[in-house]
Amino acid sequence: MSFIEHSKKILRENIRDYGMYIALFIIMAVFTATTDGVFISSRNIVNLVNQTGYIAVLAVGMTLVIVIRHIDLSVGFLAGFLGAVAAIAMVFWHWPSLTAILFALGLGIVAGLLTAFLVAQLGIPSFVATLAGWLGYRGALQLVTRNTGTIIIPNDAFNAIGNGFIPDIPVAIWPNVHKLTLILGVIGIAFFVWNEISKRKKLQAYNFEVLPPEMFVLKLVFISLLLGSIAWVLAGYRGLSWTAVIVLVVLLVYDFIATKTVLGRHIYAVGGNPEAAELSGISVKRITFVVFASMGFLSALSGILFASRLQSATTTAGTLFELDAIAAAFVGGVSAAGGVGKVTGAIIGALVMTSLTSGMNLMSIDISYQYIVRALVLAIAVIFDVATRNTRK
Amino acid sequence: MESTTQNRPPIVEMRGIKKNFGAVQALRGVDLVLPHNEVLGLVGDNAAGKSTLMKILSGAYTPDEGEIILDGQPVHFSSPLDARRQGIEMVYQDYALANNLDIAANVFLGREAVSFSLGPISVLDYHLMEQETKRLLERLKIRVDSVRQKVERLSGGQRQAVAIARATAFDAKVIIMDEPTAALSVAAISKVLDLIRELKAQGASIIIISHRLEDIYHVGDRMMVLRHGRKVHDAPIEGDIHEFRERAVAYMVGARNDFPVEEVA
Ligand SMILES: Nc1ncnc2c1ncn2[C@@H]1O[C@H](COP(=O)(O)OP(=O)(O)OP(=O)(O)O)[C@@H](O)[C@H]1O
Ligand SMILES: [Mg+2]
Repeated sequence: MSFIEHSKKILRENIRDYGMYIALFIIMAVFTATTDGVFISSRNIVNLVNQTGYIAVLAVGMTLVIVIRHIDLSVGFLAGFLGAVAAIAMVFWHWPSLTAILFALGLGIVAGLLTAFLVAQLGIPSFVATLAGWLGYRGALQLVTRNTGTIIIPNDAFNAIGNGFIPDIPVAIWPNVHKLTLILGVIGIAFFVWNEISKRKKLQAYNFEVLPPEMFVLKLVFISLLLGSIAWVLAGYRGLSWTAVIVLVVLLVYDFIATKTVLGRHIYAVGGNPEAAELSGISVKRITFVVFASMGFLSALSGILFASRLQSATTTAGTLFELDAIAAAFVGGVSAAGGVGKVTGAIIGALVMTSLTSGMNLMSIDISYQYIVRALVLAIAVIFDVATRNTRK
Repeated sequence: MESTTQNRPPIVEMRGIKKNFGAVQALRGVDLVLPHNEVLGLVGDNAAGKSTLMKILSGAYTPDEGEIILDGQPVHFSSPLDARRQGIEMVYQDYALANNLDIAANVFLGREAVSFSLGPISVLDYHLMEQETKRLLERLKIRVDSVRQKVERLSGGQRQAVAIARATAFDAKVIIMDEPTAALSVAAISKVLDLIRELKAQGASIIIISHRLEDIYHVGDRMMVLRHGRKVHDAPIEGDIHEFRERAVAYMVGARNDFPVEEVA
């Protein structure tokens, strides 16, 4: 097969995955052009990453929820409520920030288990069960912030999560460049290249089909360049933010669980065919509990990231987060039919959605038009999904 | 050879199986014997009780009365998983595959090979599962492009082959197939029948439910006919196909009824 033919074949088979990256690239290029490069400036990219954080972690959890054919509408106000709980614990109960954070994360898991109980044990449709959660947590958020209004969080360690950056190594060279970020970028690229090469060798040893050499090298170069330029852009400002570190950790852990473990395999099996999974001895109920508990945990994390970013808990924190997370999951390639959707996609989807908001804000586009543009992007993503899915059959 | 087969207890024996669903007497005291390495065809009109009897054998239902003896030992199954662990595999009529996963993942669904575990997290051994699946498919002469193909991209016949391969992957004692040739093209049917012959040649003991009498004729050793929850015929498959078909239909519709039964009150 020639290089061109091969490229066409690969593009056709992975069009859904690549489509998302191409869309992100186009959006970024357009905004860079329309804002005279402000969009791609180090400062804006760092802001963009920090704004994406609290939606991205929700989108990761939401992807798994949608994979097992459910939905969770309660995540936005649950995040807002738990952010407020963490703030109250620190400000009024004088808890150390770490204890407050662990407490909120624990409550998040409990909330997720409660949803799972309604869905898996009592058989209530997740749409209805989590709509109740949406109302309930909204009420709870208003209740705990009723007497105080916005709660200012005067805790530097806590506020660093949403606003701080990893420290740099104290060396005198290149004063305006964040060296540790560059080093991490280089390590990341090295790890990626090593991982790809060893994967390829293993595949060849087992006689499985691999990319032709030109394509493989092209892929390595492209992704290395991408990682390198991200590291470069971030290093030019203040380096890697703590939010970015948290999102990366969530991404790595969830991607590992989803693709490399028995638990992940079972989650996708339940999404693909619950009856078959059950007949194979997989407990659909158990998987439902695990997935909703993880969603509750990530909701708490999202609430903490948001409260930390604003350095306060507000009475409306978390409003519409659930819809942003669902949109990000769909842009990221999850399928409403169940069983399909990647964790990496969720992060890219979240980046697409926040890039749109950020870029349009920079261009001072009217908020009403912003909603319409985001609606169009979501609709296009789902139409694209349906269309590519049908031609594959 | 002859003597070992005779001395050995049958691989499966079901005795006096009764099952009611409310007022419906689905099974009214059915006996079934499956000797080692034989293919038993189970036929009967709609609602005769075939699926119910096999669901009891595969652990999906518990019988109201009667016993199951597996390889000489009385057994009780609490769930399909339990029956599966004791060596009874069922190929369901709708294949029961996860279409979003690849062939190897389906073959090992619920029994994944693990390379190492850390608490509740067990890491999949992809290579072992893919290698084993490749070997299994080769052994059964099932042809697919790659074991990494998603099941949704397979044809109906290939899917049925994967479902059958999956049932044979873990040294099952008995393989039950509920209508394995329903909804398949003629070419796919002959491939599935070849596969059943191949399994038998490799030593499997098989029960097949089918409305296609010619399939039973071509691969079966014995035929058992159920009618209104009772066994009305149980004999080796012999003679030419027309005679066989006439006999089967006569028992199925009740035109012939000469099976020696002790009358149950
Ligand atoms: N879960 C159930 N609840 C109530 N009645 C049932 C149930 N399963 C089977 N039955 C009844 O038991 C009888 C036997 O059903 P069964 O499915 O075993 O028939 P079958 O021989 O497999 O028929 P077919 O050829 O149509 O598949 C039928 O009258 C059916 O309605
Ligand atoms: Mg039936």
